Amino acid sequence: MNRTTSQNIALYAGVIAVCAFLLFPIYWLFVTALATSAELTQLPPTFWPESPQWETFAKVWAERPIPLWLLNSTLAALGSVILSMFVSVLAGYSLSRFSVRGGHSLGLFILTAKMLPATLLVIPLFSIFRSVGLVGSLWSLVIAHSTLIVPFTTWMMKGYFDTIPRELEQAAMVDGCSPLSAMVRVILPVATPGLAATALYAFVLSWADYAYARTFLTNEQGSWTANLGITTMKGEYVTDWNEIAAAAVFIAIPIIVIYLFLERYLVGGLTAGAEK
Amino acid sequence: MNITETSHLPAAQTKARRRAFLDLARPSRQHWLGYILLAPAVILVAAIIVYPLIISIDLSFQDVKLPRMGAPRKPFTLENYQRLFSSPEFWQTCWVTLRLVVVVTAASLVVGLGTALLVNNRFRGRRLARLAVALPWAVPEVIATVIFAWIFDSSFGLMGWLFIKLGLANQMVAWFSDTTAAFWVVATTMVWKGYPFVSIMALAGLQSIPEDFYNAAKVDGANAFQRLRWITIPSLMPVLGVTMVLVTLWVFRDFSIIKVLTDGGPLKATQTLSIMTYNEAFGFFKFGYASAVGVITLLLCVVASLAMLGRGSKAMY
Repeated sequence: MNRTTSQNIALYAGVIAVCAFLLFPIYWLFVTALATSAELTQLPPTFWPESPQWETFAKVWAERPIPLWLLNSTLAALGSVILSMFVSVLAGYSLSRFSVRGGHSLGLFILTAKMLPATLLVIPLFSIFRSVGLVGSLWSLVIAHSTLIVPFTTWMMKGYFDTIPRELEQAAMVDGCSPLSAMVRVILPVATPGLAATALYAFVLSWADYAYARTFLTNEQGSWTANLGITTMKGEYVTDWNEIAAAAVFIAIPIIVIYLFLERYLVGGLTAGAEK
Repeated sequence: MNITETSHLPAAQTKARRRAFLDLARPSRQHWLGYILLAPAVILVAAIIVYPLIISIDLSFQDVKLPRMGAPRKPFTLENYQRLFSSPEFWQTCWVTLRLVVVVTAASLVVGLGTALLVNNRFRGRRLARLAVALPWAVPEVIATVIFAWIFDSSFGLMGWLFIKLGLANQMVAWFSDTTAAFWVVATTMVWKGYPFVSIMALAGLQSIPEDFYNAAKVDGANAFQRLRWITIPSLMPVLGVTMVLVTLWVFRDFSIIKVLTDGGPLKATQTLSIMTYNEAFGFFKFGYASAVGVITLLLCVVASLAMLGRGSKAMY
């Protein structure tokens, strides 16, 4: 396909305009974080901060329990990633390799979980966690986030295992491996990129949660996740938008970085789940 | 070797047989390993999704305020559902949910498909453009909400200023106290968060269309619009159908954006079924009533996704 110069210019202009328009809110977050308090309360708004206030980041980091919130979010996410990956790698492998009777229905049964509204599940989970004393603990999030994660990761892993030729573990078994050790020693190393992508995706799902954190974590600030913490910064007395924006940058950056790594696999994973 | 022969075997061989019985490498035993590997996932899903779901459905048939596990079950009653169906608030909430689902799904499809078609062209920096177009997907919902709450701030928000500049308003708009405006603020935020998913899916679909189709069409003299209308769109339909269902379900069930942005207000103008479920449970501690709302939401989700995909609903998986 060859385009004329004017078509090329139109294409580039279109791409740049659309990207600029759609990404403007993210740009605006950074501008707000760097703006002075005076700039925030004047019209017209400042689109390019004259004197960027980098110290707002340091101030928010020091004055708010942001490091602690980020740590809580990370711990909850790591816990749910480990739990979900353990069950979904095994299940995904099973669904990909063994045509067990009812295996497909069991797989679908796991998937139907994706249709459940979190706001419905949160009610019984809350009373279960309360009766076993998990309310207020990050463990409640580890368990609850698995409800969001396992349906996706099981099918992502199945899709990935499907792309690995069966001959690999058959060769290993001819060489004397049991099916289980063939999986652990031969298939899992080969599947590392898929495992990494799925785990990162699981991490993103847990990190993004707000509903469960809001319900299960008590009023004590120290146990909050980052997402929960930031919503409490809005409008305590007067909303300091530059401080909220700075905190939001801290919370968004880990996920944006993961996204940049993940993008290539993400497309494969999401569509593998959809096209089955 | 059949069973009658086995009984005549010496002890050593029986032992070997027994080991073989546990040997999962034997083709006839391999499906056992399949079940064993599947078991942790099934047990986990049963314990944290199915069991709670059963509790929810059960709660919806009881008049309970704040349930305690192990407490004796309250008597069966249909009162929650009767109260629900006779409540104008419930019907208003359904209407809000429906409007939001239609508006957000339609707009996300248009923006997502448009951006996917745009960055599917060959040009330098295409990879960067694709990353950029899908970037809002990576921003956590709560953060997106924070950004839009500031853009639509009623005193110094960018959007109010823009509206004055464009002559659409004489003064700053109180976005969050006007019922119509609040609905559009919520919808805008959701579209921004929702379109990248459509872009990602549509791009994957576009890449699976063989180049030959386009070449053949060009030989036959089809122009760009005809190629889009007769090749691209039909080839994308399966992917778009699935995507539409997933976006619809997401809007149906979404909690974070509305909860943080408006909490269902003003005057319940942005209250969806999800928000109503949550607020009845954790705002008013009417767990039975809230569960009834949740069960209805779930039924609507199931019915909506089956209706949209019909017999092809398995394509979703």
